[in-house]
Amino acid sequence: MRRVTRLALYAAALGLAAQAIFPFLWMLSTSLKPPREVLATPPGLVPAAPTLDNFVRLLTETAFITYFRNSVLVAGLTVLLTTLVGAVGAYSLTRFRFPGREAVAKLILATYMFAPILIVVPIYIMARRLGIVNTHTALVLSYTSFSLPFALWLLRAFFQSIPLDLEEAALVDGAGRPRAVAYVVAPLALPGLLATAIFTFTLAWNDYIFTLILIASDELKTLPVGVQDLFAAAVVDWGLVMAAGVLITIPALAFFMAVQRHLVAGWGSGGLKG
Amino acid sequence: MTVHAGAAARVRARPRRRLGPAALGVLGVLPALLLIAALIAYPVGYSIWLSLLDKHSFFPAERWVGLDNYVYLLRDTEFWDSLWKGVVYATGTTALQLVAGVVAALVLHQPFVGRTLVRALVLFPYMIPTIVAVIVWRWLLNETYGLVDYLLVAWGLVRQPIVWLGTEHVMTSLIGMSVWQFTPFVVISVLARLQTIPPELYEAARVDGASPWGRFRWITLPQLRAVLFVVILLRSIWMFTKFDTVWLWGEGAGAGREIRTLPVYAYMRTFTYYQAGYGAALAVVMLLMLMAATVAYFRLFWREEEAA
Repeated sequence: MRRVTRLALYAAALGLAAQAIFPFLWMLSTSLKPPREVLATPPGLVPAAPTLDNFVRLLTETAFITYFRNSVLVAGLTVLLTTLVGAVGAYSLTRFRFPGREAVAKLILATYMFAPILIVVPIYIMARRLGIVNTHTALVLSYTSFSLPFALWLLRAFFQSIPLDLEEAALVDGAGRPRAVAYVVAPLALPGLLATAIFTFTLAWNDYIFTLILIASDELKTLPVGVQDLFAAAVVDWGLVMAAGVLITIPALAFFMAVQRHLVAGWGSGGLKG
Repeated sequence: MTVHAGAAARVRARPRRRLGPAALGVLGVLPALLLIAALIAYPVGYSIWLSLLDKHSFFPAERWVGLDNYVYLLRDTEFWDSLWKGVVYATGTTALQLVAGVVAALVLHQPFVGRTLVRALVLFPYMIPTIVAVIVWRWLLNETYGLVDYLLVAWGLVRQPIVWLGTEHVMTSLIGMSVWQFTPFVVISVLARLQTIPPELYEAARVDGASPWGRFRWITLPQLRAVLFVVILLRSIWMFTKFDTVWLWGEGAGAGREIRTLPVYAYMRTFTYYQAGYGAALAVVMLLMLMAATVAYFRLFWREEEAA
């Protein structure tokens, strides 16, 4: 490659990386600044007098820890439920012939395009009727049904890619189906299960609208709505808000990094939504 | 009863009776289907029913009004206004994401040192919660203390700081921020497809003396057709129905009206004015428009496919 082209390529790559992460560096920088420095002109990227004061105030003076615990709980339960129901469903879709199988697959794809705003009104009224408004149950159920179509679609692709012969060999050798699944299919489907888990986790962790409509009491709120309340104060305490932003981003990022390698495979089959 | 119990015992004594594959299959998919039916399909139907009622969002009182909500909707200037804003937002963001996403994917497809890292970094904006994307950009674009206005003034590009969240610029800043947040979806979809284009095609073109632009125009682009079709469809639907980003961008900014897209308007009717029936009618209309657009889009694509 010619030198100029090469140089342009590296400049473009650097630009791409910078636009993606610079806002986070700025958020981190602000979160470590004392109040006076936050509002100083000119603003600097490296804090002159770094302090953890914003984080201390966030954890002691606000309900941040409660929101965090609620988010972990709700996202965790959603991941478990979705992965379990999704894996069993997708396995059945690929391994057993039954009438309507293709129709089910098409239905799943159709719901993939669906957005929460189209059904928040009935969901809210249904939750009221069932008496589960203002409970985490309502959130977990909503997130599960929203991530399921996609989880089924993704896992179906993974199960389809696992050769039937392997499983049949195990069945012929006298292993029952449960054992064949546990020892032959599950290890091969692990990347798919991880991709599903991270997709579901992200959906539940990031959701704003369901918590907004279904949760009224402060002690049950999840992070996005809880933090929005901090942000809605008359005078915004930017240092505090940025500290909250940093702490919400870390778990999502850590989870993402941990399974990132497996994820690329999932993306090939369209592992994203939003 | 005792006879049945005896029969059951006899069955159990024999080698374990197995369910047929069809029964097992249905049984396995059932939990997933039930959840989807109860929490997606049923609500859609319920929405249609609600849209025919005059119903308060909190109190049980409801009254059958037939198509009154829809008749009202046709004359509701706020509806038309929010529809227009929604269309501007959806088409603007989708077009920009598409261009930026394809360019970024082409760059990330080239070999260079540190490519894996850059590919992972580029996904950040898409992975983080919307609330974080919103607060960090509202901080960067703050008219008094924000970095962006500071730099624009310091570099002499503008005389006065731009009020990004003011009436005049709030739609522009919302579109820019949304493009930043959602472009990674386009990047990853296109990149995945680029990796499956057979290299022989490019070699043949090179032998024939095709320019880089020619190779892109006549090889890459036709190969990307199908994936771009899907990406445009999904992105425009998701942008048209986007609630959280738009709502949070307008929250407390004072210029929320300027970015009151259809999803935000439907939400407000239901949860600010407590008109559940009218809110449901707005959601139903949104859904119908999406379905009509999707069908039209597929038709168009097929016709072009046949012509090609």
